[in-house]
Amino acid sequence: MLEKLIARNNITIQGDGSKSMLLVHGYGCDQNMWRFVTPQFKKDYKIILIDLVGSGNSDENAYDFEKYSSLDGYADDIVEVCDALDLKNITFVGHSVSAMIGVLANLKRPAIFDKLIMIGPSPRYINDIDYYGGFSQNDIDELIETLESNYLGWSSAMAPAIMGNPEKPELAEELEQSFCQTNPEIAKHFAKVTFLGDNRSDLDKLTTETLILQCNSDVIASIEVGQYVHKHVSNSKFVLLDATGHCPHLSAPKQTIEAMKSYLV
Amino acid sequence: MNYNIDYKELYNTSPCGYFCSLPDGTIIDSNKRFLEFSNYKREEVIHIKKFTDFLSVGGKIYFQTIYAQKLNLTGTVEEINFDFIKKDGTKFPVLINSVEIKNKEGHHIFTQSTVFNISQRKKYETELLIAKKKSEALSNELVLKNKELQIGSELILQQKLQLEKFNQELENKNKQLSNFTHIASHNLRAPVSNLNSLMAFYNESTDTEDKAMLFTKFEIVIDHLTETLNELIASVKIQMDVNIKHDSVTFDAVLSKTMQILEGKILESNAVITSNFSEAPDIEYPKLYLESIILNLLSNSIRYRSPNRIAKIHLATEVNNNEITLIVTDNGLGIDLKKHGHRLFKLNNTFHRHPDSKGVGLFMTKIQIETIGGSIDVESEEEKGTTFTIMLKKKNNYEYPPFNRYY
Repeated sequence: MLEKLIARNNITIQGDGSKSMLLVHGYGCDQNMWRFVTPQFKKDYKIILIDLVGSGNSDENAYDFEKYSSLDGYADDIVEVCDALDLKNITFVGHSVSAMIGVLANLKRPAIFDKLIMIGPSPRYINDIDYYGGFSQNDIDELIETLESNYLGWSSAMAPAIMGNPEKPELAEELEQSFCQTNPEIAKHFAKVTFLGDNRSDLDKLTTETLILQCNSDVIASIEVGQYVHKHVSNSKFVLLDATGHCPHLSAPKQTIEAMKSYLV
Repeated sequence: MNYNIDYKELYNTSPCGYFCSLPDGTIIDSNKRFLEFSNYKREEVIHIKKFTDFLSVGGKIYFQTIYAQKLNLTGTVEEINFDFIKKDGTKFPVLINSVEIKNKEGHHIFTQSTVFNISQRKKYETELLIAKKKSEALSNELVLKNKELQIGSELILQQKLQLEKFNQELENKNKQLSNFTHIASHNLRAPVSNLNSLMAFYNESTDTEDKAMLFTKFEIVIDHLTETLNELIASVKIQMDVNIKHDSVTFDAVLSKTMQILEGKILESNAVITSNFSEAPDIEYPKLYLESIILNLLSNSIRYRSPNRIAKIHLATEVNNNEITLIVTDNGLGIDLKKHGHRLFKLNNTFHRHPDSKGVGLFMTKIQIETIGGSIDVESEEEKGTTFTIMLKKKNNYEYPPFNRYY
């Protein structure tokens, strides 16, 4: 069972701290995005990294379009991984869509979670009555178009490399280049699930201690959205980072790490 | 020849656009070609616009979630297709290659990007995309149609099986109906002829006490006749059921009921009827069947008794291999089985020149027994008697026939 999960979610474990930290990447990337952050926590934490099914080096064959047609499918995977590794009282770090996946997993099995760190969270991307998410349906259609036109050159020959093939070292180099590559059909599906979802009502149910890390200029998750999350998660702290873009752990790792550390102390 | 290459001129007039941007995306320099592509003046772009300002909102999401992450992780991205927005709001498709430029300490200082205008190629790509989508839609449609066909053929198969089932049911119902006609006439015949015998006694008798006693017998036989009629009517309803209803029946009760029905005949014949049902006092069996079987065998034995001796009829049950067997023995006329054995249970066969012989009873009895999965055997010797051995079959050993072949 555990071996199957390790292959499915490309689970990697590093560090030997007594506490556990599970970091989950967001849409469009994989566990490589944590590489500036993880070295700073290795001493105090056992660090668990995963690739969401369909992303990075996860088992593409495990991608079930029905299961992953809502974030619940991913949340079930998180609970499964934590159970298999016997993880309890963990610090869950979720970037972007995985912040919401963390919320759902938390609601399913609160005992697993000690603290939640959300980086650039958004419970809903599409604007609604009395809600600013930042996007319209048309914007998401444009995203899907961009995805489609960029995958025109995506060769199916890359598939085995992306799926991972440890017994063929010659693919390793290709794998290096395949950072954040995903099967185009999966990428499109995941994009729709991510950007058309609505998890606002789940925020109010969350009671776990939560840190919200917000960039001051993030086109994906604006400050307003971050503050909405802060307002609706009862036990939350909001920290505005002086960083641009949607990935402060990549663009401003020092600030991100400092904010995480001062919260976790 | 000496070519004095003017690199600044090359930078500005190359057939592709160049621009440099800070890590936050702010454009700090661009060549003329890029300005031409986008229709902006230099002072409107440099230090004013960011890379993402040229992108639609959907493009910005792609930039943040895919382009920026990949550039940050690998230091380079190639052949990313965006739609760039010109000053007048129109768009043109571009392919972008970007590379991160780092200082000695490895810090990202700025990003250099090359911009190719791919308007012509894009038209072709769009056509390809449309064709691809069309072929995908077509293939999906084919898969769907295929499924529909499969479902259709399964339906037809199911309907065929259903029709076969209905046909079988009809056939069975037909058999049931013809059997029912026989059983109805026969089972009504015995009590009616009993009534006639009682009537004869009644007419002959001069004793008022005897007459009164006989009159109560009339009542009993009429009651039974009514009951038989009601049961026949009920059995018509039972025929609608898929399975034959099994009741918990006591042999003693069935026998005494039968003896009451045959009271007149028993009195007339002075027959001695004994029984021993101790080995199997009761059975799960269709009550109407068992009553019919015992009535038929008993009235047969009385009817074909020997005129040379008092009729003795003995009924008993046995259990053999978990199956209940009913044995009916008499000391009557007997049948020449060598002569008649093969026709014994056939319809409309009689073996005695007896006024009551109609040749129906044994036929029905056999069919009733076999419907429940049992069997009937006969041993007989002329002028000694006859023994019927009936393997009735217990309910738990009995496999229901697919349909009610008989009521």
